[in-house]
Amino acid sequence: MDPLAAILETFFQECEEQLAELESGLLAMEGGDTDPEIVNAVFRAVHSIKGGAGAFSLEALIRFAHVFETALDEVRSGRMSPTSDVLKTMLRAADVLADLVRAAQAKEEGEHPNAAALVEELKALSGGAVDTSGSEEDWGDFEFTPSVVAFDAPADAAPVEEVEIQPGVKVTFKPRGDLYAKANEAAILLRELGRIGTIEVELDAHEVPPLQDLDPEAAYLSWTINVTGDVTEDSVREVFEWVDGDCELKVEPLGGAPAPGADAGFDLSALLARVQDDTPAAPPAAIELELEAPLALEPAPAPEPVAPAPVAPAPVVAAAPPPAPALPPAAANEHAADGQGAGSRKAEAGATIRVDLDRVDRLIDLVGELVINQAVLAQRVMEAGLARASAVAMGLDELEQLTREIQDSVMAIRAQPVKSVFQRMPRLVREVAAMTGKPVRLVTEGEGTEVDKTVIERLADPLTHMIRNAIDHGLESPEKRAAAGKPAEGVVKLSAAHRSGRIVIEVSDDGGGINRERVKSIAIEKNLISAEATLSDEEIDNLIFMPGFSTASEVSDISGRGVGMDVVRRSIQALGGRITITSRPGKGSTFTMSLPLTLAVLDGMVVSVEGQTLVAPITAIIETLQPKSEDVHSLGGHARVISIRGGFVPLIDVGMALGYRREPLPATQGVALLIEGEGGSRAALLCDAIQGQRQVVIKSLEANYRQVPGVAAATILGDGRVALILDIDTIVTVSRGDMRKAG
Amino acid sequence: MTDETLTLGESLDMTAAGPLHKELLGRRGKPVTIDASQVRRIGGQCLQVLLSAQSTWAADGADFQITEPSTEFSDGLTLMGASHLAPAAALSPVQD
Repeated sequence: MDPLAAILETFFQECEEQLAELESGLLAMEGGDTDPEIVNAVFRAVHSIKGGAGAFSLEALIRFAHVFETALDEVRSGRMSPTSDVLKTMLRAADVLADLVRAAQAKEEGEHPNAAALVEELKALSGGAVDTSGSEEDWGDFEFTPSVVAFDAPADAAPVEEVEIQPGVKVTFKPRGDLYAKANEAAILLRELGRIGTIEVELDAHEVPPLQDLDPEAAYLSWTINVTGDVTEDSVREVFEWVDGDCELKVEPLGGAPAPGADAGFDLSALLARVQDDTPAAPPAAIELELEAPLALEPAPAPEPVAPAPVAPAPVVAAAPPPAPALPPAAANEHAADGQGAGSRKAEAGATIRVDLDRVDRLIDLVGELVINQAVLAQRVMEAGLARASAVAMGLDELEQLTREIQDSVMAIRAQPVKSVFQRMPRLVREVAAMTGKPVRLVTEGEGTEVDKTVIERLADPLTHMIRNAIDHGLESPEKRAAAGKPAEGVVKLSAAHRSGRIVIEVSDDGGGINRERVKSIAIEKNLISAEATLSDEEIDNLIFMPGFSTASEVSDISGRGVGMDVVRRSIQALGGRITITSRPGKGSTFTMSLPLTLAVLDGMVVSVEGQTLVAPITAIIETLQPKSEDVHSLGGHARVISIRGGFVPLIDVGMALGYRREPLPATQGVALLIEGEGGSRAALLCDAIQGQRQVVIKSLEANYRQVPGVAAATILGDGRVALILDIDTIVTVSRGDMRKAG
Repeated sequence: MTDETLTLGESLDMTAAGPLHKELLGRRGKPVTIDASQVRRIGGQCLQVLLSAQSTWAADGADFQITEPSTEFSDGLTLMGASHLAPAAALSPVQD
């Protein structure tokens, strides 16, 4: 990856973090939290995104962030109170900002549909304080525009030195290598200075070494710039705000004495400026106090704001019109915890490192190889006829344990709490609630539950869709709820937990449950089932997962985005997961997803079929059994069913399904694996024999060969042979089709 | 010894500094003429390389020349206070 792309990548990663910070901050504020540090964190998040976007000339992003930031500054300075309406607008603005970041990341062109409208709303909020001309100008303009707004601060609150115009400012600026590495450019900064005043530049190149000793990525040059005209030290510092830690900067009045402490390793006066910047309403005395305190790199919160931001009169949570009466205690706690989380994360930030995902994946791959290698070695030792109690075999056992531990630890690196997905949901709930006119409260549980990053990334879409569904279809209208004696506010619960080596995520609502009559009639109407079919309640509930069940004509704007529950089910299955639904009329429905914690290893049942070794994912297997001849019934052709405890399930010969043999194995000569496939449908897979159960490292077939129907992936066994991992759902589906033809 | 011309690319940003450094190192000891007519922007790190090269060539006693500077190149140099690198640059005022 070229360095610029890598930096850009880092920028987008940081954006994600800033966006999360922004949202949790806004939610905390909406929940009634008035901690000025939260307001500052929210402001900083937008400010950082804008700054980074500036470095990469991401115009749309800069323009929007600029307007957003200005509105936030109004709140931060206490000039605008963060009322529920204001925060609603801000939350929607955060949403658009997130979209714009994603659009920039995907290099998408074109206008965001809501951006222009929100810009107007934000401008209205900030009372026209936004310098709109900024949005028309070159991006280079953005850095100092906000300062114009800052100077609008009430006269009594503005420290004297902030507004004093000096005849000129002398800037000594020495970039460090990091400044360039972060895609900042000394030339651009100088040009910026040229815009706020008349500049006289003196280059100091005495540190530049001979060519052979020069590191092209280091920084050797420094500049002394005299800026004259209508400039202040602060406006000059604003120019350098984004490179603060990456350069040596001295800003002093032209011809005057250097600011105290300016010679220190980092710029004390710059820090002072930042402290002032972050406490616009603080009296000068408070700033002095700050100086006496130990110097922290992060600007401290205002010790005692003169004009505290007025508290929102009616705190509202993830709730929608009609306004929720009061903050439910559970939600309040959650939000409070969120807010604290934002703060404490900051404190912990030093204890983490940012690692390229490729490196982690490579490590995981290598550990996978190690596991395979260790299995090969164990097999060799066995073949050599060494006793189980021999020192070699014992050593191998220890090695095996160690390998497992390494594997677990490596997997843990990729594991992340599901919080990152869960925290996107409150906004979604709000939006959908507003569109449907149903008051909704979202309750989340188990946000700290960890799962592989890949799984998390691919969870967002299905979860979004399911939550939309739960509100749109699950919850009844307030009138109906009132009639049913339920509180007007519906509850959608999102929870995550670890259960026997998998993560189980549930989306439940306290709505009316599935209207089975209606579901069945829709399925008949759409020709998914025959009108005569007698179905159990469970089977009817599962109809909603059928492809073609949900279409645009039938679903509303909210859920109907061309995606039905079948897509949700497929994406869950693609993750090696299962989704089931339970519904009780009048009480609500629960969707339960069970997903593997990682996509790199799999617990498998190793079976043999016609001399081939195959692996069946253990999660799909309910039980294994030895078929008795009286339980197996032929349906004609090769189609057979097996009776298990009074019910019939299809008996599928794996050897036939995969084309290993032409004639089916007599059922009594094999072993059947009772499996549960898509939507809870069951089938029995007939294999020749079971070899055992073991954890296997998944090697993608798609990546290394191509997709093969019926085969999910491959693995390498202890004896060095490749074994295919069965794609149980495909085998069942294909065999069903065959069976139908036969039947 | 013949004078070889090195034509600078359009964008002399941070990504260009490494390649430029390498290119110049390879021409060490020979007189070099650098054609700056294509340059649309120049950043601090490429400036360092050029400054270093200029003094290195001077120390070696070999010719080092920057010719046909584009307006943007000259502006960039003036902005960074390095118009002495390409004398023609001094004529152009800083502008946006």
